[in-house]
Amino acid sequence: MELTAESIVFLIMSAITLGGGLLVVSARNLFHAGLYLMVSLLGVAGLFVLLSAPFLAGVQVVVYIGAIAILIILAIMLTPSVTQLPAIFNRQWAFNLALAAFFFVLLVSVVSPIMGELGVDAWNADFTQKNPADVPADSIVNLGKDLVDPDKYMLPFEVASVLLMAALIGAVLLVSPDKAKADEGGED
Amino acid sequence: MSGVPSLSDLNLAATLPVSFLALYACLLMIVDLFVPRTRKHITAGLTMLGLGIALVLALLPLAGAARFGDGERAFGGMYIADSFSDGVNVIVLITALLGVMVAYNYLDRIQRQRGEYYSLLLFTTLGVMMMGAAGDLVVVFVALELLSIPLYILSGFRRPQEASEESALKYFILGAFASGFLVYGIALIYGATGVTDFEGIWAAVEEIVAEDASSKYLLLVGAGLLLVGLGFKVAAVPFHMWTPDVYQGAPTSVVAYMSVAAKVGGFAALVRVLGSGMVNFALDGGLVAAWQDTVWLIAALTMILGNFVAIVQSDLKRLLAYSSIAHAGYMLIGVAAAGSAPVADEAARAVIMYLMAYAFTNVGAFAVVIAVERDDASNTGLESMRGLAVKQPLLAASMAIFMFSLTGIPLTAGFIGKWFVFKAAIAADLIPVAVVGVLTSLISAFYYLRIVWYMYFESGESEAHVPVPLAWAISIAAVGTLLLGIFPYLLSDMTHKITLAFGP
Repeated sequence: MELTAESIVFLIMSAITLGGGLLVVSARNLFHAGLYLMVSLLGVAGLFVLLSAPFLAGVQVVVYIGAIAILIILAIMLTPSVTQLPAIFNRQWAFNLALAAFFFVLLVSVVSPIMGELGVDAWNADFTQKNPADVPADSIVNLGKDLVDPDKYMLPFEVASVLLMAALIGAVLLVSPDKAKADEGGED
Repeated sequence: MSGVPSLSDLNLAATLPVSFLALYACLLMIVDLFVPRTRKHITAGLTMLGLGIALVLALLPLAGAARFGDGERAFGGMYIADSFSDGVNVIVLITALLGVMVAYNYLDRIQRQRGEYYSLLLFTTLGVMMMGAAGDLVVVFVALELLSIPLYILSGFRRPQEASEESALKYFILGAFASGFLVYGIALIYGATGVTDFEGIWAAVEEIVAEDASSKYLLLVGAGLLLVGLGFKVAAVPFHMWTPDVYQGAPTSVVAYMSVAAKVGGFAALVRVLGSGMVNFALDGGLVAAWQDTVWLIAALTMILGNFVAIVQSDLKRLLAYSSIAHAGYMLIGVAAAGSAPVADEAARAVIMYLMAYAFTNVGAFAVVIAVERDDASNTGLESMRGLAVKQPLLAASMAIFMFSLTGIPLTAGFIGKWFVFKAAIAADLIPVAVVGVLTSLISAFYYLRIVWYMYFESGESEAHVPVPLAWAISIAAVGTLLLGIFPYLLSDMTHKITLAFGP
């Protein structure tokens, strides 16, 4: 069994993804579980990089880690009573385990027949995309160019920047302490 | 594609009113930092100056005195500077000017005199202007957010008053939900047509209709979701639930502006997307777009519910909220009429005229509410109007004009707006909806004229304080309402050049 540099990276990324996932379901502290979810998603982003799909990797980081995981953590922080779970397993654990195992078998049975075509049928195969030309590798470059291309999305881009500024002002305004508040009093 | 584009490539000059105001708003925000807290009238004055210059820049092309830029398309077709967008610009800039006037003293009274109010107002105005000029669904979406987000913040401007915070949160959550529908609709329309610009959509729809391709169903669902998203913004039934609560809780000066501005933006986008991009979306091969039935049904429901529920309201702000729902229904008649290709232009003109009339009238009506409202946001009940004619004859007279105009009594702007909308509906063969419109207008007379009755024929302890800027705003609104009602050609001249159609 010969390990190439790619396969080592693949193994590390897989370990991060699977290990993170395992910790998500086994952590007693719900807040920690949220953090482990981010670790797991980061591993998936690494796998995308390995597959020469930088756009998907970027989206994975920005959308899943940047937005969704943060939302989950915010939701957990806003409901402190459920942060500490009394037990890892509830009554449905056996059923859920069976469901997960079934899903795993399903995935393997679907993917294994086309393993040969994908070029991942042996451990010594490279774990990267065989033919990077198959992937529109410059999609990020195109995206960046189109965003500031005056014939394409320059106007929405500019409007979005004004919008973000308005939103920032609003956020500051809504949380800044109010000097007049002391005068009003009796509001609560 | 690469290389530095020149300004003439962008046709930046065509966007002059918008780009000027965008720059001005950003500068104002910085200038405001150096204006001391006790001298915020400087910020308010500068805001009005900027809005005034932008209004002149928008009026010049409309009056035919000047035409900026080279052709109507700017930014590669993302921005359309035609008579329609000029009309939208004029309406929203007038509304914003009045909005600043009614806000200044009100903010002092509620001890929330802060420069950010004016910057956010300018940003919202920019959003509305962008929506009117959008040539692409992407711009529609970004502009809608630029219109909405400052409005969410402004609704909560009267922090820490609970009603204001509650209205901001309600508006934000429901608004974000509606934006989701809109994005979904845009995605489906893109899926069906493969483009996001209106002209491209128009051409793609032409092809879909000709080939009877199955993607027409995708397009239909997309148009429906888009209608939901924009219907929320204009407070059309059944997406109107937020309106009374938000209008009642938000600071009245914000409501005066928002009740008009959000409608202008929403209807401008509806007319652009449906009346211009998908006007040829006729499934049965006729000249009537497939979305027309849905729109007129919503219009009828909106008029009926808005007017009937308004009858039982005892609070002026809630009453005007339901009245604004009802008026969204009248404007939707115009949008529905735009679904018949031959009358699309006439219907678009009618919607613009209605919005113009509505802008003066509604800002004026809310300005009167500001005058009678106490500092603690109370005294907005109907009884606050009792005997107003004795204490404040001019204020009562103005309010009477606004009420007549909202009812649609001749010689007021409201009548002209309704006249053209109903005319377009009849031309589009939507006579039943026009009949519903006339009947519900009759019903609306009951609650509008009741206010007039209270002011003139009942006695009560009404109180009102009308500082100079507010008095000016009310006078301008009243004069505008009467002028447009007596000289309707002011409106028809302003709009007669509007054409939306693409293609031959």
